[in-house]
Amino acid sequence: MVFQILLTLFALFAIIKTIGQYRRSQVSKYWLVVFTLLWAAVVLVTAIPHLSDMLAGYVGIGRGADLILYCAVVVLTYAVYRSIVRDQKLSAEMTSLVRAVAINQAQAPETEKNI
Amino acid sequence: MKIIAVIAAYNEESRIAGSILDALPYVDAVVVVDDGGRDKTAEAAHAAGAYVLRHIVNRGQGAALQTGTTYALQNLGADVIVHFDADGQMKGSEIPMMVEPIANGEVDVVLGSRFLGKKAENMPTLRRIMIRLGVLFTISLSGIKVTDTHNGFRALSRKAAEQIHITLDRMAHASEILDLITAKRLRYVERPVTIFYSAETLAKGQSTLKAVATAKDILKKKMFGE
Repeated sequence: MVFQILLTLFALFAIIKTIGQYRRSQVSKYWLVVFTLLWAAVVLVTAIPHLSDMLAGYVGIGRGADLILYCAVVVLTYAVYRSIVRDQKLSAEMTSLVRAVAINQAQAPETEKNI
Repeated sequence: MKIIAVIAAYNEESRIAGSILDALPYVDAVVVVDDGGRDKTAEAAHAAGAYVLRHIVNRGQGAALQTGTTYALQNLGADVIVHFDADGQMKGSEIPMMVEPIANGEVDVVLGSRFLGKKAENMPTLRRIMIRLGVLFTISLSGIKVTDTHNGFRALSRKAAEQIHITLDRMAHASEILDLITAKRLRYVERPVTIFYSAETLAKGQSTLKAVATAKDILKKKMFGE
């Protein structure tokens, strides 16, 4: 019972946080909906554990907790991959930007040779 | 013929002027790229008579060399680009010898080598072993036959410099350049150069551990491309 209460409290906290960030335009409406649904699902599954067991049996996995664990691993792995790709793209863009600024603000020597 | 030396410098305020003054008699201009360091490298380079470009954020040696090379090609109309060092390990008086095969139209790229007979002074044994391993690693991957794969002293014709665009921002750019030489079918030759190892340069230089990160960058590029 303790775990259910703690998790529900955390889920509520996360949803409130997301709403706040949405109000400050830090996340899009899309992510507000996705995260709210996700946390709602988490609360639902912790409140009614046999719900996930039913679902797990339906897709051929023994326990609901296992199903949730598998899903979490898949989703997190994909999220990390996406973030690596974005990081590399940002890094390349950053280099281009830094290069453009450097070339733009180049400083010639006071006494130039025959150039 | 316009010869431009390009130097990537990161926190080299005490050594950069020496390098610039060493190279300047043998080139038409020196371009220094201050790679987002915290010291007065840019001011020192300007005072020594170089063109100075500043990376506002540190992007790595490969990125800095590419910035300087692009500037030398686009803004200074360079015919030959010489990649030179910032800390007095190389000899400016060897620049004409490096440029000569390009000036004669024999090759597009001249690569400095520490292992052609003479000339690596005070190189510690561990460094020698690591560099040899690096050479083996790079040759086995790129198939290019050179004696020294990670020597920063090189000369590029305008044509070669335009075709070699460095995308590996950190230290793996030396291998990337070799790969591009092969891929673009550029003509190249190696020349023996003097590289002087002082206590100071060794203290801040490439650590043996960093070699692992560089190898990782190279493998990543090899396996997954651009």
